Formats: sequence, structure tokens, C-alpha cells
Amino acid sequence: MAQRRIRGGKLVMVLCVVAMCRAVPINDLIYRASQQSDQLHALSTMLTQELQGSEVFPIDRVHACHTSSLQTPTDKEQALQVSESDLLSLARSLLQAWSDPLVVLSSSTNVLPYSAQSTLSKTIQKMQEHSKDLKDGLDILSSKMGPAAQTITSLPFIETNEIGQDKITKLLSCFRRDSHKIDSFLKVLRCRAANMQPQMC
Amino acid sequence: MMTKVREVLLLLLLPAFVPHTDGTRYSLPGKPTEIKCRSPEKETFTCWWKPGSDGGLPTTYALYYRKEGSNVVHECPDYHTAGKNSCFFNKNDTVIWVSYNITVVATNALGKTYSDPVDIDVVYIVKPHPPEKLEVTVMKDQGWPFLRVSWEPPRKADTRSGWITLIYELRVKLEEEESEWENHVAGQQKMFNIFSLRSGGTYLIQVRCKPDHGFWSEWSSTSYVKVPEYLHREKSVWILILVFSAFILLILIWLIHMNSHSLKHCMLPPVPGPKIKGFDKQLLKSGKSDEVFSALVVSDFPPTTSNYEDLLVEYLEVYVPEQQELMVDEGKDHDGCLKSIGSASDSDSGRGSCDSDNLLMDKSGAAKEEQQQQNQEGDQIGTETQGPKEAWEKETMLCANEDVVSPDASSKKVKTWPSVFSPVTPYSLSPLDPHNSLEMHKQNCLSDTQFPPGSPSSDHCIKKALQSSYWEVCFNNNQPYPQTDVHQQLQAHSDRNISAINDGNAPRNLLLPTRMTEYVEVQRVNEENKVLLHPIPSGHTREEACSWVGHGDNYSKVKGVNSDNVLLLQREVVEEESMEMAGAAESCYTSSITINTPKPTTCSHIALPVQEERVLAVSGYVDTATMFSLDT
Repeated sequence: MAQRRIRGGKLVMVLCVVAMCRAVPINDLIYRASQQSDQLHALSTMLTQELQGSEVFPIDRVHACHTSSLQTPTDKEQALQVSESDLLSLARSLLQAWSDPLVVLSSSTNVLPYSAQSTLSKTIQKMQEHSKDLKDGLDILSSKMGPAAQTITSLPFIETNEIGQDKITKLLSCFRRDSHKIDSFLKVLRCRAANMQPQMC
Repeated sequence: MMTKVREVLLLLLLPAFVPHTDGTRYSLPGKPTEIKCRSPEKETFTCWWKPGSDGGLPTTYALYYRKEGSNVVHECPDYHTAGKNSCFFNKNDTVIWVSYNITVVATNALGKTYSDPVDIDVVYIVKPHPPEKLEVTVMKDQGWPFLRVSWEPPRKADTRSGWITLIYELRVKLEEEESEWENHVAGQQKMFNIFSLRSGGTYLIQVRCKPDHGFWSEWSSTSYVKVPEYLHREKSVWILILVFSAFILLILIWLIHMNSHSLKHCMLPPVPGPKIKGFDKQLLKSGKSDEVFSALVVSDFPPTTSNYEDLLVEYLEVYVPEQQELMVDEGKDHDGCLKSIGSASDSDSGRGSCDSDNLLMDKSGAAKEEQQQQNQEGDQIGTETQGPKEAWEKETMLCANEDVVSPDASSKKVKTWPSVFSPVTPYSLSPLDPHNSLEMHKQNCLSDTQFPPGSPSSDHCIKKALQSSYWEVCFNNNQPYPQTDVHQQLQAHSDRNISAINDGNAPRNLLLPTRMTEYVEVQRVNEENKVLLHPIPSGHTREEACSWVGHGDNYSKVKGVNSDNVLLLQREVVEEESMEMAGAAESCYTSSITINTPKPTTCSHIALPVQEERVLAVSGYVDTATMFSLDT
């Protein structure tokens, strides 16, 4: 009898926990996601500035970013017209596109000058962590927002071997832009979701 | 025609080839530098450049740009909106997440100069306008004022849609010299509170903003605010604490005052007063010492029981030289002695200081008592002079100054004293009766005082003997006739001594020749060298004679008694003299009989030193028996 009671109690607890977990509001999820993306972009900005020492690295040289094929809004009006689901889909696609390149980047640090190697390794590791967390959060968020949010455009990254220093710097520049896109999309999404909480925007 | 055209061409070309006479040179324009582009709201952007030297010629500038992924070169659409040397890109011309390659070209008559190209991405160059509508109000929080600062985001920045996320920062400063700005990061909120204001101070406040990934804006215009006067919270708290502590202090003082007596007892315990049994402090304070001492009289003094061991004081046989003076001397000393003896048995701790006094009083008391007894029995001895009276009194005083004689005061030693006189030539037995009586008295004295404890009384007796002999000697000095007196006394002494010795070593055989001492006056010496004596009716002569004798310093002192019950006499000049006198008396006697010239001092010097030294060398104390035996 005592054992049954204990089991019953445990079951109730588990149910409560599950219910509470599901009770996390979307606003909070988006807020956390936007925070993660903000961190991600800040890291990438710091990294590029350390390596190049300039604000902008010319991208449009020979190679473009592997994510350039993805159509994203180019100005404010366009961005504001995109639906939440599309915004989320874009964010998730971009995020997905960079999981492999980050791995390649982390393994290619030995090409860089010795002084920059440790910084690069650490920062790339952090970026991977944030990227992982963000991906998980966005997956949960997308599951709540409908099937449109579930689509992810595949953006393969061809290079699998070690890349040269030029490649590294271009890759970092591309990542900086893409992280900014993700951050922007999520922040727009955040403001759209916070109808009752204007202080978020 | 052709010549005209050539002339024109030459004229036109001449300035180019011919150097100017004024020194100015035309050249290509300098390269434009420092191309800076900024976007205030991520929708438009403006580029500025810094022109180089114009080369002396009017120079024009043009900005060309090329977008990412396209080779089409465009020129700046708007050179005027943003001012001179600027290019404004409006919304239509602005795309984000696309890098621009911008080049500025300076053109003058001589040519063009291209600037270095610059790649920009609009989203990275966002620098908003300062916040607007800065408002500062003084508000009160439970009586304490604080500043509430509020503002609006810049007009153009679209924060509502989330297109731009702005972070704000404000700074505050007191309106006075040498005060510095105090920065506060307000985050994304558009309102901020400032506390801990200075009463009556004026504050300056500014605010600025920054996009999440961009540049800080400029500071907004300053807003002034004056804080009203108010009582600082800390001051009021301190006032409360002061009042409270003062209150507690007053209570403490009152408590201490109430318990001052008990505190005094605790901290300064009262000094115990003299605790003499029967001693009344109040009487002493009143100044009537007679009453005080009379109060000390205890009925059971002298203790007739044999509980002398209980008493601290051991009695010595008191050798009183004259009975008369004892009779006379029933003053307070006597009473005091009696009383003190009784009080000597008090076991109070405060007895220490009075010990010697009590003891000495005991001695004198015992002496006097014995004297009294002897007086009663020994009237046949005759009258006594009053000479030693003073001496007696002074002796009592001296007694007070002496040390307590140890209980081991040797009766034997005392006994030896009489032996001083033993070698003296035998004498008639006429004085034997008094002698016997004296001896008996002495015995009585002794029995009364209970030997073996050696006894200050014995010491006293010795002293008395010494004194008497001394006096006798002094009489020798001053008056020729007292010699026989001395002789007689000496004889008497010796008689007694002999008898005492014959009786054995019992301490009770301590002779007290002093008791039986009678001073008689030598009237004259007849032709047969016999000294005619007659009793001295009064002690005045003695007093005169022995006035100088009676000084406090002429008394022989018993230093102590060693283990062999030997009386240690102090080696004072006086003592020695008296000892010497005693011995000298004998030798002087012998010499005086023949020579009839009293020179006791010289005699003493001659006679005794050797003996004394010898004796002393042996055992450290004076053994008069051996001393004089050797002499003979």
C-alpha cells in the first residue's frame, strides 16, 4: 500500500513537471532565443575585428557566402512583411547552415598566426555552444508555430578539408552577416509576439 | 584661318607651359580621405569624406559606389541633403546585408583623383540620433526625494517593430565645479530613478542610446533640475541614537548612585581595624586612653591556670631592682601591662602589630607583678630608692622597642647572670634572708610565669640585674660612697647567684637579685676601709646619678636565646659596658678596695674584653660564668 502511494505521488509529480514545462510561454522562448542570437553575433563581430582590425571585410570578392542563395529581406519594409513563420524558418535555416562550417573553422585554426589561434579556438567553441542552444530553442519554438516554421532550407557547405587563411577570414565575415540576420529576425519576431509587453521592444 | 586657330591654341596652351609669375601651381586635386558612412536608423545612410587639396583649381567631388555581386557603378544620388562633401542614400537606394564599395573622386581641371575604396554594410554602421524629450522630475519616496528621468527614443529609430533595439545610458552631475559625471546604464527602458540626492543641489542630466550592434549616439541636450531642501535621513537617525543613549546613560548614573554604598564596599573593602579583645575603638577615637586601657582589663589576668602555652607571649622572670618603685609605679603602665597580657591571648589576626607591645607589656606587667609580690614579702629588704624608677619606666619603654624574646630564653643563661657575682668574695649571710626571700620570690616569679618557655621575664630580670649593676657602677663613678653599696649589692647579688647556682640548673633557680636589691648610700669610708652604708631614703640622688644612666640606650638588650637556652645579649656598647661594668664591678671592687679610686670604665676595659671575647668566640654568646671563672 505504501509503495503504491509512493508511485502515485511520483507520477503526479512528473505530470506536473511536464505540464509546467509545456507552460513556458512563447514570449519567453523567443526572448531567450533572441538573447542567444545576440550573443552569437557579438562573438562573431569580436572575432572578425580581432583578426582583421577593420569594420568590414570585403566579401564580394571571388567567393560569395555559401548561404547567399537563401533569399532574405534586404530592407526594412521587406523584413517587416515577412511572416513569423518565415522569419523563424529563415533563422533556423541559416543556423543549420553554419553548424558544419563552424566545425571546419575550429579545426583550421592552426593556419592562423600563433597569437590568434587561442582566441579563435575559444571563440569558435563558444559560438558553437550558443549555436547549439539556439537551435534547440528554435526547434521548440517552431514546433509551436505551425508547419511553415518547420521548413529548413538546406545550405550545404562544400568545403570539408582544412581551409586557408583567406577562406577563414571570408568564412568569418559570412558568419558575421548571417548571425546578424538571425538576430534581426528573432528580434523582429520578439516584438511581434510581445503585444502585451511593449517593454520588450 | 589656320594661323588664327593655331594662335588660339597657343594662347590656350600657353598658361600650361609657361610658368606663372605669381608662384601658384596647379595640380591634380588631392585624394579624398576619411570616408565615413553612418546610418541613423538602418534605413538610410550618409557618407562623408574629407577632401584633399584642391590643387589650386576648382575641384569637384563625386562618389561612386558599387554593390556586392554587381559591377554596375552608381553615383551618389544626393550630394546636398547631408551637407558638403557628403552623400546621402535614401531608403530606395539603401539595401541591407549588402556591402557597398564606395569610391570618391576628386576632379579638377587637371585631372581626377580617386580615393581608396571603402566597403560598408549598412547594418554595421548604425549610429542613432540622441534620445528625445528628456524629462526629469523630483519625486518623493516616503518623504525622501529622488529624481525620475524619462526620455523618448529618437524619432526615426523604429523600435516598435523591433527593427532597431536600442540600449540607453544616462549621466548625472551636480552643478558645481570639480564634480564628475556619474554614468548609469538603463538598458532598454526609457525611464530611470536617481536616489541619494544632495539637499538643495542642482543636477545636470544627459542621456544617449546605442543599437544592439552599433555605435553610441551623441549625448542629448542637458536637463537641469533642483532638489528641494530636506532633512537627511541619516541625521535624524543619529539624533534618535543620541537621545536614546543619553537616556540610558542617565539611568545608569541613577543606578550607580543608588548602589553607591554597596559598590564602594565591593571595590574598596574597608580596612579592618585593630582587633584587640576588649579594645574599644570608639573610646580610642574619643581620645581617652585611660578608658581604653581600662577596658582591656580582663578579670582572668594574670592567668593563674597553667594555660600559658596558649599565650603567644612567654613570660620571663622580671628582675625588678626596687620594690618601691614598683609600688609607686602603679600607673597606667602597670595597668597597661596587666591588661595587655590578658589581651595577648586574643587570637585575632590584627594582633601582629601589637604583638611586641603586648609582649613587652607582658614583661613589664609580669615584672611588676613579681615586684609586687616581692614587695609584699620582701619588705625586710629595705627601702628602695627611687632612682631606678625612671629607669624602670624607660626600661618599659625600651621593652617596647625590643624584640620578642624567643621562648627559649635560657633560664640557664639567666642563671649565669647571677654567676657574675659568684666569684666575688664570699660575704656574710646577712643579706641572705632577703636573698633567700629574693630567691624565693624569684622562684615564685618564675613559677608564676611558668618556665621553660624562656621568658621575656627572665630577660627582663637580666636586664634589671644589669641595670642595677650598672646603676651601681654609676654610683661608683659619681659618688665614692656608693661603692660599698655596690659591693653590698654585688655581694647580695652574688649570694643570691650562688645560691641559685647551688640549687641546680632548674630554671626556677633563676635568681632575681634585682628584687632584693637595695640601694644604700655610702656615708663614708672609715679608716678600716669599710664603707658605711645607709639606706637612701629617696631616689633623687639616684635619679641624678643615674639620670644619664636612665637613657634609653643604656639598657642591655637581650638579643635572643639560642638553642642551648643561652641568652644572647646584644653586643651593644651599652651592654658591653654594662657587662663590663658588671665584671668591672668585681674587678673594680677588688681594685677599689685597694686603690680606692673608682675607675670602672678603665677597669672594664682592662678586665673584660679578653674574657668576653674568649667567651664569645667559643659559642657566640656571652657566658658570664665561664667568663669570670677564667678571670679568677
